[in-house]
Amino acid sequence: MIQLNKNYSLPERLAEFIPIKIASVGGAGLNALDRIILDGLERADVVAINTDVQSLTSSVATRKVQLGRSVSRGLGAGGDPEVGYQAALESADEIREALADTDVIFICAGLGGGTGSGAAPYVAQAAREAGALVIAFVTLPFAFEGKRRNAQAREALARISEFAHAVVCFENDRMADLMAPQAGIHQAFAMADITISQSVRSIVNLVHRPGLIRIGFDDLLSALRTRNSRCLFGYGESDSDNRAHDALTQALKNPLMDRGRMLADSTHVLVQVAGGPGMTLSEVEILMQELGRHVSDQTQILFGAVVDGRLGDRLGVTIISSLSAEEDAVLLQTPPAPSNATSSPACEHYEPVTPQPELQSEEPAVESVPVEEPVPADEPMAAEALPAATPLSTETPPIPTRNGEPEYLISKPHEKSTSWKEEKAFTEKPAPPAKQEVLQFEPVTRGRFEKSEPTIIEGEDLDVPTYLRKNVKVK
Amino acid sequence: MANNNLMVGLEIGTSKICVVVGESRPDGTLKILGVGEAPSRGVRKGEIVDFETAMKCVHEAVVDAEQKSDVMIKSVYVAVAGSHLQSFSNRGCVMLPEDRDEIDEQDVEDVKINAREVSIPAQNAFLHSIIQHYQVDGQQGVLNPVGMLGQKLEADFHIIHGVRTRIQNTIRCVKELPLEVEDVVFSGLASAQVVLTQQEKDLGALVIDMGGGTTDYVLYSEGAVRQSGCLAVGGDHITNDISMGLRIPMARAEKLKIEEGSCVLGNCLPGEMILLKDDSGFAGKEIECETLNTIIYLRLREAFELLKRRLEQEPYLGYLGAGVFITGGCSLLSGIDHLASEIFEIPANLTHAQTAWGVTSAVENPQFSTAIGLVKFAQVMDVDRPPRGFSRIFGRLFSGKR
Repeated sequence: MIQLNKNYSLPERLAEFIPIKIASVGGAGLNALDRIILDGLERADVVAINTDVQSLTSSVATRKVQLGRSVSRGLGAGGDPEVGYQAALESADEIREALADTDVIFICAGLGGGTGSGAAPYVAQAAREAGALVIAFVTLPFAFEGKRRNAQAREALARISEFAHAVVCFENDRMADLMAPQAGIHQAFAMADITISQSVRSIVNLVHRPGLIRIGFDDLLSALRTRNSRCLFGYGESDSDNRAHDALTQALKNPLMDRGRMLADSTHVLVQVAGGPGMTLSEVEILMQELGRHVSDQTQILFGAVVDGRLGDRLGVTIISSLSAEEDAVLLQTPPAPSNATSSPACEHYEPVTPQPELQSEEPAVESVPVEEPVPADEPMAAEALPAATPLSTETPPIPTRNGEPEYLISKPHEKSTSWKEEKAFTEKPAPPAKQEVLQFEPVTRGRFEKSEPTIIEGEDLDVPTYLRKNVKVK
Repeated sequence: MANNNLMVGLEIGTSKICVVVGESRPDGTLKILGVGEAPSRGVRKGEIVDFETAMKCVHEAVVDAEQKSDVMIKSVYVAVAGSHLQSFSNRGCVMLPEDRDEIDEQDVEDVKINAREVSIPAQNAFLHSIIQHYQVDGQQGVLNPVGMLGQKLEADFHIIHGVRTRIQNTIRCVKELPLEVEDVVFSGLASAQVVLTQQEKDLGALVIDMGGGTTDYVLYSEGAVRQSGCLAVGGDHITNDISMGLRIPMARAEKLKIEEGSCVLGNCLPGEMILLKDDSGFAGKEIECETLNTIIYLRLREAFELLKRRLEQEPYLGYLGAGVFITGGCSLLSGIDHLASEIFEIPANLTHAQTAWGVTSAVENPQFSTAIGLVKFAQVMDVDRPPRGFSRIFGRLFSGKR
């Protein structure tokens, strides 16, 4: 068994820093932003944008932009998106200034009201024009807030989708379903804030942490690609003996996950496993294997692994995916997996890869080297480990889905080509081959203990024969 | 043949289920009247995973025991194992009121309750709390403080606890037969009752009961339990390793392990082969002796080293006068005592139930240590037996108190 190499956190990686800004628009957005700040977020600037001076004053954000000094005169937009939009237009310069010099902008807004629905699309537009990658986190109003508000929200969502590279949409109604009926209304609203905060924070961490197998924005975008969709998000952390299992269970417990049942229908699942230097390959294997039971064979798993000393003994799992709300969205993007692996994408695969050279020239050379490095090192080991594993081939299905990667590449190019240099800089093109190689190890050989609860002590899965783990050759 | 001195121990093991019927003699000795056993199915790593199947097997074993010992079994002592069991030592303390300085029985009860007032995970229940020593006004090593003079009474307890529902599963399996459950006992503790003599407990000894699914251990020092636990690695793992390493069926691997297995390296001639005869569905194979032994050696060595690291968290391992005692099915593997003494760096002995007599073949078989130990445990408990009944145990599991 191969240990994840401990001295792998390269200083070059740490030095690389992507400026991220979080802009929140409207009252609900500000609430979410406050939550994000209070939960503690490193390495990201925050901007609070609102028409209502009162809520701006109470916000804990360091940078604030008041919209429409003359249009709304420091009051709210009064639930009218038109007022919100006019206010945003009036303060266009201030918005642009606040959003300048950033590569990635997260926009948080609660849709349905005046400022959220009216100004958020404009902010998204401004962010896009500033040349940043834009990811919007929006909430849709409760059904009881009335049809008018819902219609406003839908309209705003559609407009934001035009400008944002990805939209993560939380339905308040859905969160209400997940709350206990007797829970207070403030709890239901806080739930939305907490969920947004968690997702923003984990995405920031996801992108910032130097990864062994890194997750780039391209992975992220493809996980969230289905527009107008329901976002599945889960984060779990554990430091118990059986931490891989516990962390995953916790992640799947997240309200948006519905205990992993939702995952079965999603086409892309992004998984990042983060742990301290003590994280072992077998733990990752177990985790991914367990996750594999929740997703279908056609699902493309975008996998990332990160070693972060600050995590200590803890192991964290982030799962992000989206579930398209409309049938046609599903049709658009899912040719059956076996075919991607073989025929048509094989030729087209090279098309999107062509921008790669220029992309790599933008990146420092070090960037691509560490990712490629494990491949040759791992390959002979894989060859050794696999024969012993052949009796059980139950784990093979995930591998073909990994080959589904090209499919995702071809479906993206218009976005890739039309969009921004910055975005290309973040994308991690060298990653796909590394991902495939590492996942070769997934066949965990546990024999008759396959179905039983794993015995994991000191980070080793004791159900796997000792000679395999110690890499002793037996004939 | 109703007899109040009859006691029955039931162990639902990973590889087999055994039932031991014992009789407590007036002179305090224990006689084994009969032993029933049945191969176990539906049990993994010491815990029931297939309820129906396990129940059938238990029934088989009980019927077998009834026939062999010619008694009707109504109630049993049940052993529990499994990786969820945890243990720790805790000290309780009570101060006597100003106007009284003689310690009475109530104070001893109070200190016991006090010692148990520790937080264990919410889903866990106390299985055992075993007294180690009392201290009266700082005086160490008091065995019975009742009647002594002092102001401050302290007591060290060793507490074993486990996940309540998992323990209840075992109880329910027996209860549905239907048999009454007198008590549930940690299997390692049960084995230690018959494997060790009082003298060995006083000197300090480590009992390793390596069964099919789990390895249970109990460490005694100065006559008291200091450390105990359960490692979910056992003979099954060795068989699985052999099956996968040599690419032979599980049943073959099990047989090979029992007949030819050894955990001593370098004892085979180079190129010494074992011929596995062909069978329906198996083409026959030649296996190098050393390869087989290497697989077994690596697994056992790892298990012992893991155990050692666990035990080294407290200082007792260095002070074991009597050494290591290995029992359970895996102790039949040739060379396991040498390996254990090499790793623990103290003498290791293979052992079986010592303090019982009767059906010799059963007493001398280390596979029955736990079941016989249960009977012995029952005998010890019998001295102050509380009212019988299933509700008592359930009540305890629910309340978390004993």
